[in-house]
Amino acid sequence: MLRAVLALGGTAAGIAALIAVKFHPAASSTLAGSQSLMSPSASAPAATAPPATTHPAATSSAAKPSAKASSSSGGTGGGTGQSTTARTFTGAVDNTQYGPMQVAITVSGKTITKITVVQQTDNGSESQSIDSMALPKLTSEALAAQNANIDAVSGASYTSAGYKQSLQSAIDMAGL
Amino acid sequence: MTAATRPAPGPVAPAATRATGPIPMGRSSRPAMPSVVLAVIAAGALAVTGLWWKDTPTISNVGNALVSAGDILGLLAAYGFVVLVGLMARIPPLERGVGADRLARWHAMGGRYVITLVTGHVLAIIWGYSVIAHESLTHQAISLVTSYTDVLYATIAFFLLLLIAAISATAVRRRVSYETWYYVHLLTYASIALAFSHQFAQGPSFVSSLDARIAWSAMYAVVGALILWYRFITPLRMLARHRFTVAGVREEGPGVVSVYITGRDLDAMRAEPGQFFRWRFLSRELLWQSHPYSLSAMPRPDMLRITVKARGHHSGSMAHLRPGTRVIAEGPYGAFTPSLSGRRVLMIAGGVGITPIRAMFAALPRRMNDGITLIYRASHPRDVVFKNELDAIAADRNARVYYIIGSREHLGYDPLAPEELSHLIPGLQRYEAYVCGPVGMTRTAVESLRDLGIRRRHIHHEAFDF
Repeated sequence: MLRAVLALGGTAAGIAALIAVKFHPAASSTLAGSQSLMSPSASAPAATAPPATTHPAATSSAAKPSAKASSSSGGTGGGTGQSTTARTFTGAVDNTQYGPMQVAITVSGKTITKITVVQQTDNGSESQSIDSMALPKLTSEALAAQNANIDAVSGASYTSAGYKQSLQSAIDMAGL
Repeated sequence: MTAATRPAPGPVAPAATRATGPIPMGRSSRPAMPSVVLAVIAAGALAVTGLWWKDTPTISNVGNALVSAGDILGLLAAYGFVVLVGLMARIPPLERGVGADRLARWHAMGGRYVITLVTGHVLAIIWGYSVIAHESLTHQAISLVTSYTDVLYATIAFFLLLLIAAISATAVRRRVSYETWYYVHLLTYASIALAFSHQFAQGPSFVSSLDARIAWSAMYAVVGALILWYRFITPLRMLARHRFTVAGVREEGPGVVSVYITGRDLDAMRAEPGQFFRWRFLSRELLWQSHPYSLSAMPRPDMLRITVKARGHHSGSMAHLRPGTRVIAEGPYGAFTPSLSGRRVLMIAGGVGITPIRAMFAALPRRMNDGITLIYRASHPRDVVFKNELDAIAADRNARVYYIIGSREHLGYDPLAPEELSHLIPGLQRYEAYVCGPVGMTRTAVESLRDLGIRRRHIHHEAFDF
């Protein structure tokens, strides 16, 4: 009996300690902050998976998207109106290991009022089931935070990383 | 992940159950091997933790902390299942080096531990996601189960486990038959299979890493292969080679029967007195279970004998075995064998624990003239079996046999207490001791012998449970 209590107590304490070491409450809302948040989920798989899929998007998101954004935002009919009208900005496509991730944001004034998923990972039913869980969470978190500095959803690190990359590029375009 | 294996459904016989006959368990010396095995298991757990560590990003809120805790609990639980199965896979080095009884105890304790891990995993995941999604626990639980097919399977697996745990809980276990318990226990395999897919579909460590998926699958595959080999193929190969067949059944006393088993080249198995086999009699009633029973006589090239006391349905049916019935035997197992150290020999048998002692008694070398003592404890005169055989062997060896009959309450003292033993056998510290009987009696006897100055390595014991 005593041994059982010790074993379970030891396990609980050990796991709590591991979690505590990993625990860093999200504080900064800067881009640097968001990248440091993202990097663990992006770099951990990089050890085994081709890193090329996620990193290029991270570096190019500032440059290329502008072209894409202007075309797609026009297509969406967001217009170029002033701060009073709602405008739509479509983020860059982020090619994750499981397929492309792309989101569009609707901005009213300085506020993101809506986030639409334009493309989502489509690599099989697993991806779809992961996305169906993760995307609503990511969206509600992003709407609440009003930036891309949001937590990755556990079990959906690729989707989360792709979502955040695309969202960040959309935000950059919107000049928020 | 090396020690990871597990028994298959077929020939399972948890060594420490209410079967019958001496179920070989304890052992004496050789303490190194169990420690090595435990170290390997712990190293595997560390590796699993490392896998989780590598793939867990920085945690920034309570919800993710809970989900991450759920992840590591789930990983450890899955690993634990593999280990539990492995312990029961009848891997020869484990059976010899650790002992069937200790493996069964580890399996029982580990099972409770792993069930707790699984429960923690389920609760932490639901709670964590409900915090992240700002949903109620119930709503979140329902949405997890309904959104993912794999999680649905895993949920079924979890409820199967709870059922198994409920049946195995000590209080319930006493009221269900061994057979019920045993068949319900087999559902664990279904549970493990059902829970497998959600690990890869939802487990962050696996979603992101093909290598991890390969290593994890390999672990399951290796354990599965070990079970298949040692629990199915090996016994069938032994059957093909040795053609074990029931030659006859003899009643030794009320409810105690000896079964004689013939076969070819039995000496090639190198069975020693004191060892046991797991027996599966291919009759309609007994086909579905195998049970461990010790040899009760010196193994001969053409004949083996086991002796079984009727306690459960299985052992009760043995009296009706027909000659010619085929038998699948796994073994030999056990390290409860004569050590031939040249020291004088004290043997203590309790109840049906006499069976391996009987075999060893006849195996002691004749040159030990005058150095052999056998104490046979039984609670009632009718429980004494092999009296004629024992007396004959004793006369041949000039050995002394003490039949001490009656419960401790009835006798008014404990004949296995240190003072009684030293009174009966002067100079005990020079003896090599062999003890086999029920768990309580065995413990008492071993403690007394230790008190009387016999070193641990000179005390060999095997306890059986019912």
